[in-house]
Amino acid sequence: MRGAFPTLLSVSLKAYYRNRSAMFFSLLVPLMIMVIFGLLNLGGGSTSETVGIVDKAHNPTSEQIIQSLKKVSVLKLDFGSESKELNALKKGDRAAVVVLPADLGSLVTCPAGSPPSCRPRPKPVTIPVYGNKTKPQDAQIARAIVTQFFDSASFAALGQPGGIYRTDAQDLPGQNTTYTDFLVPGIIALSIMQTGIFSVAFAFVQQKQTGVLRRLMATPMRVSEFLAAQVSTRLIMAAVQVVILVAVAVVAFHFRLAGNVIELLMACILGSAIFIAVGFAISGYASDEQAVPAIANIIVLPMMFLSGIFFPRDSMPGWLHRISDFLPLTYVTDAIRAVSVDGSHLWNLGPDVIGIAAWLMIAIVLAIRLFRWEP
Amino acid sequence: MSATFPQSSLRAPSNAQGLAIKVEDLRKSYGDVVAIDGISFNVRENEIFGMLGPNGAGKTTTVEILEGLRTADEGRAIVAGVDVRRYPARVKSLIGVQLQSSAFMDNLTLVELIDMFAAIYRRRVAALEILGKVDLAEKAKSWVRHLSGGQKQRFSIATALVNDPRILFLDEPTTGLDPQARRNLWELAQTLRSEGRTIVLTTHYMEEAETLCDRVAIMDEGKIVTLDTPANLVQRLLDKGFRRERVEREANLEDVFIDLTGKGLRED
Repeated sequence: MRGAFPTLLSVSLKAYYRNRSAMFFSLLVPLMIMVIFGLLNLGGGSTSETVGIVDKAHNPTSEQIIQSLKKVSVLKLDFGSESKELNALKKGDRAAVVVLPADLGSLVTCPAGSPPSCRPRPKPVTIPVYGNKTKPQDAQIARAIVTQFFDSASFAALGQPGGIYRTDAQDLPGQNTTYTDFLVPGIIALSIMQTGIFSVAFAFVQQKQTGVLRRLMATPMRVSEFLAAQVSTRLIMAAVQVVILVAVAVVAFHFRLAGNVIELLMACILGSAIFIAVGFAISGYASDEQAVPAIANIIVLPMMFLSGIFFPRDSMPGWLHRISDFLPLTYVTDAIRAVSVDGSHLWNLGPDVIGIAAWLMIAIVLAIRLFRWEP
Repeated sequence: MSATFPQSSLRAPSNAQGLAIKVEDLRKSYGDVVAIDGISFNVRENEIFGMLGPNGAGKTTTVEILEGLRTADEGRAIVAGVDVRRYPARVKSLIGVQLQSSAFMDNLTLVELIDMFAAIYRRRVAALEILGKVDLAEKAKSWVRHLSGGQKQRFSIATALVNDPRILFLDEPTTGLDPQARRNLWELAQTLRSEGRTIVLTTHYMEEAETLCDRVAIMDEGKIVTLDTPANLVQRLLDKGFRRERVEREANLEDVFIDLTGKGLRED
């Protein structure tokens, strides 16, 4: 006869699905957090006042313009290559990007046979000012300032505006620009962690205490089949949870899912596996059900606030930032965010995937060491 | 669920001595505490064998060693012809177990749980038929937590019957039950024995042991103090000159209770 796994899995899925408090915590709570923090808009839409300057000319004229721009007190400038600045713009870290073209400051020479009064004059150039389509206000203000600056520069040179420097507004599609786009992947990672840890820890401490596990040990049950069914149940529920959360976020909060759903689910399932193993470790360590929340929260709460769930980790002091780099939830959150918002592929997320794999190994070793079948 | 309850394929090869269980010099300690101090006994095929003793006497430890849940420090136990220490999984597949406080997964119906146990034994069973045996067919779609105490114990026995075992272990099956539920369970135990099964029963109720058991072993402080039929044990005590101060009446209060309230189960 076939193995016990299919039956164990279907029974375990039914039991999980019928467990109202588990459903409440794995679906309703994350949705509530999403609504609350979405309304709070903690990141304030992460507005940026920085204007990126790309100098392609590298000549005295461009040097002079940059010096003058630096004197415009309302502008925060950042200098870099075109690709670096435009990427920053797409991510919402620049209000606008000004590109000084290579032919800036070149002269138009007098054609042969011109009257002697003719002098070489500066060649008119078009200066692209890129904005982020999804952040029109930021771009508008920055452009107004930049355009006014170049108009007066033209006027100073020629006595009339717009003669030499003509700004050209261009909009690029943005990424990761709204707070919702930042928040939703964070909430997904958070709920994966909560569901993984708590659904395993509570269920198994209870089953250990009441003797459910003992009764099963009195059968010739293969432990591997039983654990595989229990873990699969929770991985499947994690995937369902992610799909529902993403769907609600897209429909209700205009979340833009840039990446591949399958890769997003793979990242989530890998992350979920870490926290399921942590749940097994806790259920082995905890003496009774009252001990579960205490132990679990010591692990869960710091990560909740240090892993960049609700706000970017950039605002942390350097040393804390460096510690938070290595938290399992940070790896999971970053991977989910990169896949879902930046549209990255899993195979391009080397450090995150390695971090997740390393934590998965650590968590499994802990689970094997600590898990107990008997109280 | 399509196939019928399988006929006992395991009952056929009877042990040479007609023994279901053979225990030789079993010992088990937890740290400094000696739980079982070198006990030996046999359980015959198709008998109801009672294990009596105060709490901490070592009954449960003994039974759990026989069930393959614990390993003895020393000694040997052969259950259904199989050495428990060497082949615990094989023994587990041959026996049925009702633990002292059996609990089952939440949010599952009785039928689903029976099917789950059947899958673990790699068997196909008619779950309703098994539930019918313990008088729980009507509760097939209920959850365990909605059962009464007696129903829970009967369900626990139902899960022990899934693999149609030759040997059943019932650990204090009637503790905490009302007199009707207790009598109902006695009838069930007798029915199961009449099907050819061997039953090992632990209990605190002497009346239960006297009614049900063919032989009883009385344990104290990890040792078997005596082992015989209830009638012989009583006779031996009488032979020593023991007399109750007050002569037993022909009936006791429990008889009055049953006479007034009937044998019918009260659980719905």
